[in-house]
Amino acid sequence: MGSILSAEWFKLRKSKMVPLIFAGPIIGLFIGLTSNLESNTQGLDVNHWYISLFSMNLTYALLFLPLIAGVFASVICRYEHQSGGWKQLLALPVTRGRVFVAKYILIMILMMAMQLLYLCSIFAVGMMKGYSDPFPMEIVWKSIVGGWVATLPLVALQLWMSIMFKSFAAPFAVNVIFTLPSILAINSKTIGPYYPWAQPFSMMYIGGNSDDAFFVPWDQLLTVVGGGFVLFFLGGYLYFQRKAV
Amino acid sequence: MIGKLLTSDFLKIKRKGLWFLTALGPIGVVALQMVNYGIRRDYLLEQSEDDWGYYLLNVHSFTPLAIVLGIAILTSFIASIENETNAWKQLIALPVSKLTVYLSKFTVLAILLFLSSTILMLMTLAYGVFLDLGDSTPYMEIAKFAYYPFFASLPILALQLWIASVCHNQGIPITVGIFGVIFAYSSFVLPDWMIWKWPSLMNQWDEPVINVMLGVGIGILLYIIGMIDFARRDVK
Repeated sequence: MGSILSAEWFKLRKSKMVPLIFAGPIIGLFIGLTSNLESNTQGLDVNHWYISLFSMNLTYALLFLPLIAGVFASVICRYEHQSGGWKQLLALPVTRGRVFVAKYILIMILMMAMQLLYLCSIFAVGMMKGYSDPFPMEIVWKSIVGGWVATLPLVALQLWMSIMFKSFAAPFAVNVIFTLPSILAINSKTIGPYYPWAQPFSMMYIGGNSDDAFFVPWDQLLTVVGGGFVLFFLGGYLYFQRKAV
Repeated sequence: MIGKLLTSDFLKIKRKGLWFLTALGPIGVVALQMVNYGIRRDYLLEQSEDDWGYYLLNVHSFTPLAIVLGIAILTSFIASIENETNAWKQLIALPVSKLTVYLSKFTVLAILLFLSSTILMLMTLAYGVFLDLGDSTPYMEIAKFAYYPFFASLPILALQLWIASVCHNQGIPITVGIFGVIFAYSSFVLPDWMIWKWPSLMNQWDEPVINVMLGVGIGILLYIIGMIDFARRDVK
């Protein structure tokens, strides 16, 4: 398993797409520095960090995170789709299941790295705006890790789609078709909690109920995120077992 | 020559899902409003006196996002048809100039997008009439909200086609498309010179027609820059 992972990492590093993880903090900085909610909340007694977090997490988790997850999945499969890479890789003494798991783990590591860089960008925005309030470490951690957990099922589906389609555009189109409706879904109390693509937003939304470990109740987390993950991961896993290379 | 190239380009996109996506974009945008109005129709009708205007604004809140992402998908598709089988070489080896090859790709995409806008117009009208939003149907406004974003997004089309056709790794144009949609989503804070703001038809003068003119002008400029750069590069 370790050697497959390091082989995957090596292929990825040489494809020069690792800097893609900096897209997260760049978007974070862009939203954080362009939003000017401060003027609306002047005089209100709230922690200044919350104001930035609200606007940054909204755009970042609603559109950017689900979409970029798909790009990572496609990038990881790009090498194999070119000139018979799947044949060469699977001719090695490795099982298909392990290849699938290794690719999945690597994507999730990259997503974690991007989330941590995004955390840095939150901090940087606060520094540039000169916030003096205490940094809400616990809340930020919850939303950083929560957003990451919420992408588990989305990455599984995208990995499935990326293995299935040779081009980048097709899995991306699938991703867009499911991600755009979440803008409406989050407005609805009945659909929002059950829509898997709206979960990154719910998990990163700092106004949520914070008694639980994350900003969503455990049963919602387990059924929607957990259930989606099992469904998409098994789907992709079984598809890859049968795929003709 | 351009006619034959266009025919071959239309042949190449057959059964690749491009026509499907072209139709799905506008249908999806209106379908989201069908869900929106289906669930909370009474609440939405209370929001404004001008029910048609409010409905058009609701539809238009998704149009720029769908256009920006649609452009990224279609351009990347068109480029990967040639990339996947290393067909650029064979295509360029034919007795055609590289400039016309590029022009033909751009024209196919522009036709697809135009078609998309037309479907958007018809769907918006059909669902609006179905909702029974009042007697005076604003045909001109509906046409404006369908075709203005198309012209205003031509610079994005030119830019994305340029990036998609010169990059071997399609991850790059797709990532640019994601940045584009984030910009389009936050277009109310963007300065007027950002091309991703234009499909939203917002500007400081409150004159949507300025975005159309800027779109056509800058679109042609970016198209020419992309075409010249494409023609100068070696085909690998």
